[in-house]
Amino acid sequence: MGSEMEPLLLAWSYFRRRKFQLCADLCTQMLEKSPYDQEPDSELPVSQAVWILKARALTEMVYVDEIDMDQEGIAEMTLDENAIAQVPRPGTSLKLPGVNQTGGPSQAVRPITQAGRPITGFLRPSTQSGRPGTMEQAIRTPRTAYTARPITSSGRYVRLGTASMLTSPDGPFINLSRLNLTKYSQKPKLAKALFEYIFHHENDVKTALDLAALSTEHSQYKDWWWKVQIGKCYYRLGMYREAEKQFKSALKQQEMVDTFLYLAKVYITLDQPMTALNLFKHGLDKFPGEVTLLCGIARIYEEMNNSSSAAEYYKEVLKQDSTHVEAIACIGSNHFYSDQPEVALRFYRRLLQMGVYNCQLFNNLGLCCFYAQQYDMTLTSFERALSLAENEEETADVWYNLGHIAVGIGDMSLAHQCFRLALVNNNHHAEAYNNLAVLEMRKGHVEQARALLQTASNLAPHMYEPHFNFATVSDKIGDLQRSYVAAQKSEAAFPDHVDTQHLIKQLKQHFAVL
Amino acid sequence: MAAASSSDSDSGRAESKEANSKWLDAHYDPVANIHTFSACLVLADLHGDGEHKLVVGDLGPSGQQPRLKVLKGPTVLTESPLPALPAAAATFLMEQHEPQAPALALASGPCVYVYKNLRPYFKFSLPPLPPNPLEQDLWHQAKEMSLPSVPVFLEASGQFDVEFRLAAACRNGNIYILRRDSKHPKYCIELSAQPVGLVRVHKVLVVGSTEDSLHGFTHKGKKLWTVQMPAAILTMNLLDQRSRGLQAVMAGLANGEVRIYRDKALLNIIRAPDAVTSLCFGRYGREENTLIMTTRGGGLIIKILKRTAVFVEAGGEVGPPPAQATKLNVPRKTRLYVDQTLREREAGTAMHRAFQTDLYLLRLRTARAYVQALESSLSPMSMTAREPLKLHAVVQGLGPIFKLTLHLQNPSTARPALGLLICFLYNEALYALPQAFFKVPLLVPGLNYPLETFVESLSDKGISDIIKVLVLREGQSAPLLSAHINMPVSEGLAAA
Repeated sequence: MGSEMEPLLLAWSYFRRRKFQLCADLCTQMLEKSPYDQEPDSELPVSQAVWILKARALTEMVYVDEIDMDQEGIAEMTLDENAIAQVPRPGTSLKLPGVNQTGGPSQAVRPITQAGRPITGFLRPSTQSGRPGTMEQAIRTPRTAYTARPITSSGRYVRLGTASMLTSPDGPFINLSRLNLTKYSQKPKLAKALFEYIFHHENDVKTALDLAALSTEHSQYKDWWWKVQIGKCYYRLGMYREAEKQFKSALKQQEMVDTFLYLAKVYITLDQPMTALNLFKHGLDKFPGEVTLLCGIARIYEEMNNSSSAAEYYKEVLKQDSTHVEAIACIGSNHFYSDQPEVALRFYRRLLQMGVYNCQLFNNLGLCCFYAQQYDMTLTSFERALSLAENEEETADVWYNLGHIAVGIGDMSLAHQCFRLALVNNNHHAEAYNNLAVLEMRKGHVEQARALLQTASNLAPHMYEPHFNFATVSDKIGDLQRSYVAAQKSEAAFPDHVDTQHLIKQLKQHFAVL
Repeated sequence: MAAASSSDSDSGRAESKEANSKWLDAHYDPVANIHTFSACLVLADLHGDGEHKLVVGDLGPSGQQPRLKVLKGPTVLTESPLPALPAAAATFLMEQHEPQAPALALASGPCVYVYKNLRPYFKFSLPPLPPNPLEQDLWHQAKEMSLPSVPVFLEASGQFDVEFRLAAACRNGNIYILRRDSKHPKYCIELSAQPVGLVRVHKVLVVGSTEDSLHGFTHKGKKLWTVQMPAAILTMNLLDQRSRGLQAVMAGLANGEVRIYRDKALLNIIRAPDAVTSLCFGRYGREENTLIMTTRGGGLIIKILKRTAVFVEAGGEVGPPPAQATKLNVPRKTRLYVDQTLREREAGTAMHRAFQTDLYLLRLRTARAYVQALESSLSPMSMTAREPLKLHAVVQGLGPIFKLTLHLQNPSTARPALGLLICFLYNEALYALPQAFFKVPLLVPGLNYPLETFVESLSDKGISDIIKVLVLREGQSAPLLSAHINMPVSEGLAAA
């Protein structure tokens, strides 16, 4: 029976070791001993400290870094009031996929997403975005529980807020409606902890904004931290221009990397990528070599389809920080799609060395090994990938890639089984439908092939392969009308495809001749 | 009407754009107001004074006021109205004695008018059916030719003097070749597209068609060659340079070019400011070798072939096409690649063995997973030969009520699918389906059937679950197909 540690110190040590639940429980115990368990007594600095600690512990449990781009809600995409130009000039907007792919591999080699940009190496929340044409399309994008795009971004935060109720099941720690905000704004240290709690844990932006406004007034507008927080509140509420103002004035006072990142986020949301780029470059002058700024620039270049500049900046990032996962992954996938799989293999092995151990990495490793002709490691990687798959979509993707490998070996029955398994796991896998249709065509089951291709083209109208295949199949059996229509769709999806152009020319000649 | 412009070769030389062009621009009048076809242009020495003039059967602007114009130099000499639109014009010698002043035969409306000394001389009325005339070349005795019963619409040209042949191109896409001794067509060439022009060069018939190409046929009907044009052919005519014994075909294209071909070879290209609608080559004024062109806008262009001009076959088409000269985008060979090839060479056998072992294991694993999928009927498509079916499910809506659409398709060729049922398996605490079990109508092969159901989400906790759809057949215990649908999170709150 040794002497017990001072409870506050113990709680603090739990906090530092990231054992937030234990810390919060200990703090609750300590606060129960004090007469006022809701608000700290100003005469007892210990209880104040305990109170602050508990607030911080609860916040850290649910803290989500605000800097990364959020997923745009459906309502925000279709009812966007912030777009400046109706038809932006090419190269100045993130919403339009870049028309000229500077030096990147064509669509025949590197698949594109629904937005029309080539598939990137690193999945970020915003990489799935793309402007859907109609409300119908917006709703139709697969909205399963895993890839659900929220209706509005603030709606998602409400859900996060309710999730946090699980951290304190016996009633909220701080009852917001009974708080006297003016009193707290006089005490800057308490106010800061309280603000974070309200903003992140309770997700009550309005109250947080009130508190922040009062505190800023109190500090006579000299505290840059409050300006940034007000900016964050405005951002959440969707008032982007006011947020921009706040961030700019905070920058004038004190230049911090975080402020640069928040301001750039505002600009990206307002669809001003060039302004964001300039801002990042300005930030790089002040903070040379800062990884997050470099990474931000690279991301913007990728969004604008300028993969060569993006690759340059990712390389800069790697010079500064050779463990940066996003940079390694993006450069790796660039190399893979530009026909240098052995270099890509090296990058992915580096990721493995760094401890990333998931299904996607092994999938990529398997593909790189296969195309770099290191056959002994290919299949083991895929086996590992299959066993690590967390949900059915990942399993489907792995089976699909295995199907590709089987086609490469020449084992058609294995390929058939693999593609069917991909479909079993994910009924909406358009690429698997397409490939299965090609296999059926080789066997001669024309009707099956056509039905599969129709499904594939309905599921993924942005891909040119199902349309082109359907056109070829229809042409073979003599259904020229449908062939022509499908060939037009294929050309719309990928105008540079030579085979489509040949087919259309052939059909036109056929129609012109007597 | 016609702007005065000198026809000297000096000014022509100054006007020509290229220094080594074979043609001299003699006259260009874009507002000469001459609208005609090649068939209506004739160069002839009407008055017997050695100076050839151009006889134009002018359609008049926009088809009104057809006139017969005779041009000398750049100016119009005489003009007389025609009763109907001219279709063709030709000159021929009616009498054998000197002086040989040719008579002009003009086909206009349903009649052929013969003019001598520019005064109407004869008038032949053709029977009303067929209404369009034949175009006649020199030395033609039209009266004796009987028209075949086949409708002959487009131009005919070319004849041998003793045993003449008449080649007529018709609107039904065929070319009939008639000989003197028969009243019916002897040979028939069937074209693959509509003929646009017909010219005889020595013993070869050159036909231009709507496929933008020129074809050469023998007089017996065999196809010799085909040349593709860059634009549609508007008019064709013969280029006969007597001094050098050159006979070539001129074709006026829709993009303003006039191309001259001898057999298959392209000799020359003349660029005109507007699309050329009629061509005539011959002796004009006192110049041999003049080319007269009228354009679509009514302009008149006269060019003179230089005396020193020799047509050489342009060698631009030989050699590999330019597409072969572009370099392929091959990625650089990296050092790593070379190292890996070394490794393959050293450990080749081991790699192969490892790969084969893995491949067998993979096949086994795949087969197991496949059998499992078949047994639990998880696949969205059934592959049994008797019952091919395909199922595909789509969820629409924001919640709390969703619409679930099932697309069923019968991909077999001839068998309809009967007696199918659909059943849903779901968590009853989370979802309510008013219609959880229903019959499927008869599935006609090849059609896509969308079947709709409504799903209501009962929970307000923002969680979602999987709904399984099963396609069953009466009498069988195992489902034919099944599909898993991951329901999206409901955005609206359920009505309590």
